[in-house]
Amino acid sequence: MGSGWPAWKPTRNGQMFMKWKKLGKIFDPTDHALPNGCVEFAQSPQALVCTDFIRVYFATRQRDAIGKYVSHIAFVDFDRRLSRILGVSKHAAIEVGGLGAFDEHGIFPMSPVRDGDRVLAYTTGWNRKVSVPVDSSIGLAISTDDGRSFQKFGTGPVVTTSLHEPFLIADAFVALRGGTYHMWYIYGTAWAGDPPERVYKIGHATSADGVAWEKEGRQLIADRLGSSECQALPTVIHFDGCHHMFFCYRRQFGFRTDREGAYRIGYAFSDDFANWTRDDARAGIDVSPDGWDSDMQCYPSTFECDGNIYLLYNGNEFGRRGFGAAMLER
Amino acid sequence: MFSWRKLGRVFDPRDVDIDWMKDFAQAPSALVLDDRVRVYFACRPAADSNGQFVSYVAYVDFKRDNLLERINISKQRILPLGERGAFDEFGTNPASVIRNGAEVWMYYAGWTRCESVPFNAAIGLAISRDDGATFGRIGNGPVLSYSFDEPFVIGSPRIRKFNGTMYLWYVAGKRWIRGDDRPEPVYKIRMASSSDGIHWSKHGADLIDSVLEEDECQASPDVFFSKGKYHMFFSYRHTLGFKDRGRGYQIGYASSSDLRAWTRDDAKAGIAVSPDGWDSETISYPNVFDLDGSTYMYYQGNQVGKYGFGLARLEADS
Repeated sequence: MGSGWPAWKPTRNGQMFMKWKKLGKIFDPTDHALPNGCVEFAQSPQALVCTDFIRVYFATRQRDAIGKYVSHIAFVDFDRRLSRILGVSKHAAIEVGGLGAFDEHGIFPMSPVRDGDRVLAYTTGWNRKVSVPVDSSIGLAISTDDGRSFQKFGTGPVVTTSLHEPFLIADAFVALRGGTYHMWYIYGTAWAGDPPERVYKIGHATSADGVAWEKEGRQLIADRLGSSECQALPTVIHFDGCHHMFFCYRRQFGFRTDREGAYRIGYAFSDDFANWTRDDARAGIDVSPDGWDSDMQCYPSTFECDGNIYLLYNGNEFGRRGFGAAMLER
Repeated sequence: MFSWRKLGRVFDPRDVDIDWMKDFAQAPSALVLDDRVRVYFACRPAADSNGQFVSYVAYVDFKRDNLLERINISKQRILPLGERGAFDEFGTNPASVIRNGAEVWMYYAGWTRCESVPFNAAIGLAISRDDGATFGRIGNGPVLSYSFDEPFVIGSPRIRKFNGTMYLWYVAGKRWIRGDDRPEPVYKIRMASSSDGIHWSKHGADLIDSVLEEDECQASPDVFFSKGKYHMFFSYRHTLGFKDRGRGYQIGYASSSDLRAWTRDDAKAGIAVSPDGWDSETISYPNVFDLDGSTYMYYQGNQVGKYGFGLARLEADS
């Protein structure tokens, strides 16, 4: 690569880092009228770049009749520089599931990907259980109106539990490459403690049609905090000859109240999609000394628009008061 | 038309004093051994303080040359329940076994408990290396789980092997209906095939037409090959009110030449409830097998096997 070696290109000597310019919090759910009477939470922002704007899907929350949360997917449209809000969806982008369905008690998050004239949405559906609070699986919904509304592909999930992934299948991110659909997602490995807390790791699956998936069946990203580390929401982007994965990670316990145990943004890179080298120090972004992302950073999502690479993410309290953005300095 | 001669009830869980086998002997499934026929079934300890049950797999052995003579019973649990949060944390019911080389493979429906509906189910695999006496899981998750067109309640597995391919007949939930007491699932008979017994390909269609109502529940599809075609005995009932007389399980029948297209004709099943006694209200969960020149059927009786299962012998199938 010679003199063109970019400053953020991962190298083995540990000297080069990415650098993100924080754009601050760009969306606060309490400033807007949201679908289904949702007031707080705008979690796991994920972008769909459209002709004249950037549509950002997020999960917001409603209280149900027994006082528990149900997550719904809404979206907000920004101009192509993420500097101005053009509008907020009046209806949920996808209906939650019916009685007994995998997504009966909420959808969070939703990941859009363009596939020809369609937009595919990979959803994480939640259903409540008795001995543990919840389980989840990954569903598919399809839009033919540029991401304004989605129809579910069946009432069940497209990726769910399997022999060595017994629960908590979630957080799909899908990319098409060379005619193959690649999915990065998370799977649960343990419930432990009282009340029970979960552990989950990042995995990878492939598909020829986006519907029938074959899991690779291994943990993709090495642990940094030991075997009980929780890894969530992988997002993958390719630039400058390298695949970059951002995700978030935390401790199994104390992550809600202890700043040190809370979500941070992790990073890994790969030359071949198969082998990933974790090196969180290269992520180039960390919590701020104060403000909306001072205790926690989570649910990252990267995308490119007009030659700029953006990172959307949530801050404190898992995005109760919205999401922010950062732009890669090149 | 099949013609079955009932040989009576062969096992009643009230006749044994095993605490985890207090109630129910459901879904009998036979494994023929050298000197005996081992019949697996699902049983339950007493209900917990909330009135809820778990279910275990057990077995009872009968003399091969006298299927009415019981010679052994599983005194210890042969498969523990699943781990916390897993699909089989609260039950393993029913089970179906098949020989695979020196091993015995058991496919079972695992049960978990949910908030808005009482339960969910998926199909697991456990393997025995001691001729079916004890089993261990090869993973903590299911081998056959939910999919976009089979959203929940994957249960009632029956494992068979034809022409080198392994087949699972099972049921898949279609929807939950709000009943008077609690939601009840509607489920239909489906099929999957596999070359190794671990990676399964779903056929993806209901196999058996419904006759009682659109929401007829179908269960326990038991398939065997005889006289040039495939035969399926299964159970069916109304979805709601199935504890009322006339709405509970009966045994149905269908046949097929290719395992995919099935013609239902319940009148040919040739077995129905008795005028009185242990199988006078409902019969269900048939398991048909050949033994030493005869064809037999195990099936469960009243109250979905609460008081055990019985045996019938095929007299004619003309």
